[in-house]
Amino acid sequence: MQLTVFNGSPRGKESNSTLLMEYFLKGFHSIEGCASEIFYLNRVKETDENVVAFRNAEHVIMIFPLYTDAMPGIVKHFIEALEDSSSEEENPSLGFIIQSGFPEPIHSKYVARYMEKFANRLGCRFSGTVIRGGAEGIRVMPPRMTKKLFQLFNDLGRQYATTGRFDEKIARKLAPWNRLSAGRKLFMQLFRLMGLSNFYWNMMLKKHNAYSKRFAHPYKDF
Amino acid sequence: MISFLAEINQQVFGNFVTRIHAMKTLILDGHPSAADEDYNRYISNVADSLTEKGHTIRMLVLRDLNIRFCTGCWSCWWATPGECAFKDDSHTVCREYINSDFVLFASPMIMGFVSALMKKTQDKLIPLIHPYIELVKGECHHRKRYDVYPKIGVLLHKTPGTDDEDIEITMDMFSRFALNLKSECVLSAAMAQSVQEVSDAIDCV
Repeated sequence: MQLTVFNGSPRGKESNSTLLMEYFLKGFHSIEGCASEIFYLNRVKETDENVVAFRNAEHVIMIFPLYTDAMPGIVKHFIEALEDSSSEEENPSLGFIIQSGFPEPIHSKYVARYMEKFANRLGCRFSGTVIRGGAEGIRVMPPRMTKKLFQLFNDLGRQYATTGRFDEKIARKLAPWNRLSAGRKLFMQLFRLMGLSNFYWNMMLKKHNAYSKRFAHPYKDF
Repeated sequence: MISFLAEINQQVFGNFVTRIHAMKTLILDGHPSAADEDYNRYISNVADSLTEKGHTIRMLVLRDLNIRFCTGCWSCWWATPGECAFKDDSHTVCREYINSDFVLFASPMIMGFVSALMKKTQDKLIPLIHPYIELVKGECHHRKRYDVYPKIGVLLHKTPGTDDEDIEITMDMFSRFALNLKSECVLSAAMAQSVQEVSDAIDCV
């Protein structure tokens, strides 16, 4: 199977989307005869080449982070460039992986509905959508925290290589609940009381010597 | 007679109060092309009608601004808090946005959603919120950076191939967007409605 991946992360190669895709492709390539190619949508100047790659593709996966409750601007830019492909007879199969920093999958469900309709709009066979929350920071997490996640993406890729669609059971494991349970909310409140809830952001703010300016409001005086 | 006078007085005074606090309305025009005459006329008629109603109107035609795509560097959250690290016109958009009472997102429907030009601009509004996460209505959302945020509305221009489901999906995404921008999406209008209807609806916000 020949797979074409469009990475829609604004960070391009240095992104959580890239990392998740790496594990997906490890699993995918483990099946004989499977090959893949990756295109980066943040290279906006290469949009024409990306459109050609889409048209020539057999199977396509688009992976992107949730940006302001929808797809990033670069992904919408690519979608618009594909407008003329709607009438093509042999469009690739099309599936989506949507990851976000928010822990709950609910945030990504709205754009997921859009993406499925977009696949239909192009006349592509829809091969499913996988949603994964809590993905910000996975590049700096210790391996024991991400081991299970990466294994699931590996399994997802291997399954995709044989069926040409996302395995529903694995997709459910990646997004096992839609909203925070009472227990998780309580856990978050405890974290908050202990001053741990924004550990990652505080670490990054301090790293950039900006911690004291973190509440800056440059465009308006209260 | 006295109560009648008091009522008149209250009406006059009430009107006076609304007049001195003119509503600041920002229109973000997300049409990628300047050539759509019907669209342009419609938008400027809405702006004129609101001006007549006493609104202070600021219009930003996004295609005329230099706005870079967000690169996800998060400088606006952890290096230069509240500001994009790139010196593009998104700073103007952010300043106008947070100093408005109401923001209207106007765009033609392209491939079932607002334009990439509009979406690119939305991405560049994240300096207005804080990276910290807090629980809002039982969900994780970003903490506010400013005390008050404008309410928002969406004005969509249906193009051939746009169906009701596209509008619904778009409005759902904008409701979610509003929730994260510490706001409420209080208006959804299509350009099939009369200018008067749309401007009345904005005036009631």
